[in-house]
Amino acid sequence: MATAIIETTSLTRNYGDICALKPLDLQVPEGEWLSVMGHSGSGKSTLMNLVGGLDRPSAGSLQVGGKDLLALTEDGLARFRREFVGIIFQQHHLVPYLSAVENVMMAQYFHSVPDEAEARLALERVGLGHRLKNRPGELSGGEQQRVCIARAIINSPKLLLGDEPTGNLDHKSTVMVMDLLKELRDEERFTIIMVTHNQEVAAWGDRTIYLDDGVLVREERMNS
Amino acid sequence: MVAIKLIPHILSWVGIVLILLRGFPERKRVVAVAVGAGFALGVAGTFFLFRSFPGDFSFSLIRDVVGGSFLLLWGIAVASIYRSTVRNFPLSWGERFFASIFFAGVGAFMSGMIAGAISVCRLGTSGGMLMLLILVLVACVLVFESLAIERLLPPSFTVSNSALMAGVVALLLFSSSSILRLDLFSPLSMKVMKFTHDFVHQFFESMLIPDHLFIHIHLWRYIGLLFGKEVGFWGGLIIWFAPAILIALAISFERLPSVAHIRQGAQRRTVVATAIRARRFRLVVPGITILVLAGAGYQSRFPAVEYWDPKPIVISAGPSGEIVIPLKGEVDLKDGKLHKYLFSQGGKEARFFVLMTPTGQLTVDLDACAICKPDGYGQTEGTVLCYYCKTLIPLETVGKPGGCNPVPIHFTEKKDGVYIDGLTLINTWSTTVQTTARVKEGSK
Amino acid sequence: MNRRRWLIHLVLRALAHRKGRTILLLAVLAMASSLATALGIVSSSMGKRVAEEVRKYGANLVIIPETARLDVGSGGLNFGVVSEPTYLLQRQVEDALALSGLHAERSFHLRGTLHWKDADIIVEGVNFADIRRLFPWWQIKGNWPVAGETVVGNDLATRLKLKPGDTMELVGKDQLVRLRISGIVSSGGEEDALLFLALPELQQALGLNGQLTLVRLMVTAGGDSLKKSAAALQLLLPKVKVNEVRQTARTSEGLLAKVKLLMLMVTAVVLISAGSSVAGTMSTTVLERGKEIGLMKAMGGTRWEVMLIFCGEAALLGVSGGVAGYLFGSAIAQFITRTVFSASAEFIPWFACISLGVSLFLALLGSLGPMISVFKLDPVRSLRGE
Repeated sequence: MATAIIETTSLTRNYGDICALKPLDLQVPEGEWLSVMGHSGSGKSTLMNLVGGLDRPSAGSLQVGGKDLLALTEDGLARFRREFVGIIFQQHHLVPYLSAVENVMMAQYFHSVPDEAEARLALERVGLGHRLKNRPGELSGGEQQRVCIARAIINSPKLLLGDEPTGNLDHKSTVMVMDLLKELRDEERFTIIMVTHNQEVAAWGDRTIYLDDGVLVREERMNS
Repeated sequence: MVAIKLIPHILSWVGIVLILLRGFPERKRVVAVAVGAGFALGVAGTFFLFRSFPGDFSFSLIRDVVGGSFLLLWGIAVASIYRSTVRNFPLSWGERFFASIFFAGVGAFMSGMIAGAISVCRLGTSGGMLMLLILVLVACVLVFESLAIERLLPPSFTVSNSALMAGVVALLLFSSSSILRLDLFSPLSMKVMKFTHDFVHQFFESMLIPDHLFIHIHLWRYIGLLFGKEVGFWGGLIIWFAPAILIALAISFERLPSVAHIRQGAQRRTVVATAIRARRFRLVVPGITILVLAGAGYQSRFPAVEYWDPKPIVISAGPSGEIVIPLKGEVDLKDGKLHKYLFSQGGKEARFFVLMTPTGQLTVDLDACAICKPDGYGQTEGTVLCYYCKTLIPLETVGKPGGCNPVPIHFTEKKDGVYIDGLTLINTWSTTVQTTARVKEGSK
Repeated sequence: MNRRRWLIHLVLRALAHRKGRTILLLAVLAMASSLATALGIVSSSMGKRVAEEVRKYGANLVIIPETARLDVGSGGLNFGVVSEPTYLLQRQVEDALALSGLHAERSFHLRGTLHWKDADIIVEGVNFADIRRLFPWWQIKGNWPVAGETVVGNDLATRLKLKPGDTMELVGKDQLVRLRISGIVSSGGEEDALLFLALPELQQALGLNGQLTLVRLMVTAGGDSLKKSAAALQLLLPKVKVNEVRQTARTSEGLLAKVKLLMLMVTAVVLISAGSSVAGTMSTTVLERGKEIGLMKAMGGTRWEVMLIFCGEAALLGVSGGVAGYLFGSAIAQFITRTVFSASAEFIPWFACISLGVSLFLALLGSLGPMISVFKLDPVRSLRGE
């Protein structure tokens, strides 16, 4: 088994009095595709934000890629995110006034320097070579999500986080997006953590964990 | 009082040590020892130099050394800009030399020595050995302080070889420009001014610029510009700042590393971004250098030294046309200070001063010289200074004609006072001032 | 594409996306900075204009002999009968003026008495060319005199029943002068009781060649520098008195100061209201763009980098507002000076710096609060849409 890219011990997150994530021990080996399932409010998004360095745990330890996220400063966390993590959102969160290629370049800008040729290539790779100059408003949901994927992988992250990436898509687009993700993962060998409440989507992964009220209740290994 | 006097020197000393330490990150210990030893030796050497050659010689020697380092900086600057534009400039031996422990040691030692010498020039030797000992001790303590400060600086802050040179020389210039007799900027702009004047004059002489007739009045105005004081100032500024700017340009022209062989885009961009960042950090020292040079130029143009600049006393001639100034009247003529007088007769007037030189001779001179516009003179420690061209004239030579020296006036010294012929005075003033005014104003 | 160009590109795209708001902000900034510029230009041109007006009120320095007494505006009828009059030497005064390098209009006066019929008349010798320049309020009925002619003060003319065209024979200490009256002068001042003739003629008649009793100077300078000019001149003329005539200048300077204060207050009010409207608009924008900011942070932008983007927007707005403000403000100033002062405002390039500075300062200060919220914004919450 490969080394663990994510290692948590009694990871906890409280929002005031509400305990969003009860002490959680989790290990994700490098290159794994982990699906996180659960009802809304079960703490799956909280887990993803913690692992992605967007949020700080209230207690416990959290190691991602050999880095202790608790020890990092605010700016250190930002640098961790830019170099290590790619995120795909349910609502896409594309910048409305930038074209597809410029949205990808935005990620390059925060990472290092913008490189338009490389951004074009990345979009061609997700099958959007013909829609480079279109704004997000002119793209369909599936296309937007593919721009989002191109943006997430442009900086070659070790960890790709998906927050219900197919939640807004119809079945056909969902299959297309998931196939694309699988293809990319096979090429680039990054680790995927995907939050979903769609059993079918979860089945694309290697392993599924079920959270309920902030507690890991069940774990299931796929064999595909 | 002494501490306040030394502030610019202490600041530049700390700066020099910091830049040297960062410039040779592998040889910090060697550099620290060498720079400290250089300072001590510089202090001791200058002390004995002043003992054996009191007066102008020692000052001009140290000034020449500082000037030499500025010329060296020019060489380095030109080489580095040439190298940044022409790729295969053979400098590998130079780089090896630069990286050698020998260079680090000697460079630090030399910088320390010059800094020490300049500090002694500021303090003077009157304080005796003890004062100088304290100075050396303070300098050594500051070296240790700098070692500590250097550790706090961000590690990405690096200093390139040429920037190291520029920084150290600029700080030495800053340090020396606060001492009037070591100042380089004013003599530099003076030289530029004289050169331009001579050059244009030669053109007139050789008739390369046709006289009158063809030349429109506007053109004359432009030619007149070449005769102004501003030519010297702006020309001096260019020469002053050019090396630091060239070095900064050379650094910003530095090529980014080739990234074509890196397949992964993110990694490629990271390499480029890191290189850009490092280049920007290397530009910090040249940037500071430019500021320091500006500070040095400012100090030289508006020196903090206080001039003895008395208001001219209005004086008139007796019935015989002779001006009589009593030796001990309202002013004591023999107190070694400059005493200015204003004499007017028949609508004309002349400014002159009476001064007792350190040799004990009274001298009467016009408050003007044969070269510059008659802006007059002020007195500072051991010298008088021409306000127009900022040339320093040692007190010993006041009363001798020629150059930028004040034009001497014939006078007779009697028991009760100094007798000067009013008409001679007026005539000398008129001829002197008319010539200089005509030369300076060009065609105007 | 390097980072700086990308940043500018991004800022331009963001501004273009919200056209209405951008134009509103630009208009507010341009308005505020143009008003500041216009008032600045107007008040600086007005300063010059008032200095010119002061010029019209005549001399502001007088040179008188040490022992003589001078009461400006008190009639001065006693003046002519000073028993032992002292005089200024014309040469000396001229030399001193040349030496001092003052830019001054001058007029030389010699007062004395001449005998006519049975009475002594107080007469004044002047250069009429100077008088016409320095005392524009003199009203002459008839003509300005030429050589051998004279003008008589209004009161004196009435008293002695003189009219233009009459000839007078006046007896002086040395000589007799025959003068034809060319006009009657009225000024409302002491001049109305005097008789004026050319200075050299009076000097000859009285045997006082090259001597004067009074020199009036009109130095074109305001406030402090007038005092300095007086002091400088006094230094060169140790044996005489150099006095300031400040009355008119002082009142007009006071008025000017008040008008300037008023303008300053108006500008301050405008700037404050503009600043608060910028702050309001900016904070709405930032609120609306919360998701975008959260996204930038989630992608790995540090707080500073994200803030830099928004500061860049504010700065770009500020600079363009400043440029527009300068152009617009110059036009307004031109309009104001044309209509109110009926003079054209000057073109002052360095006011561009002021309008640019005002606009940039307003834009950055107004977005200070929004910037802080950009800095503090939590990416998780904003992305969730809270």
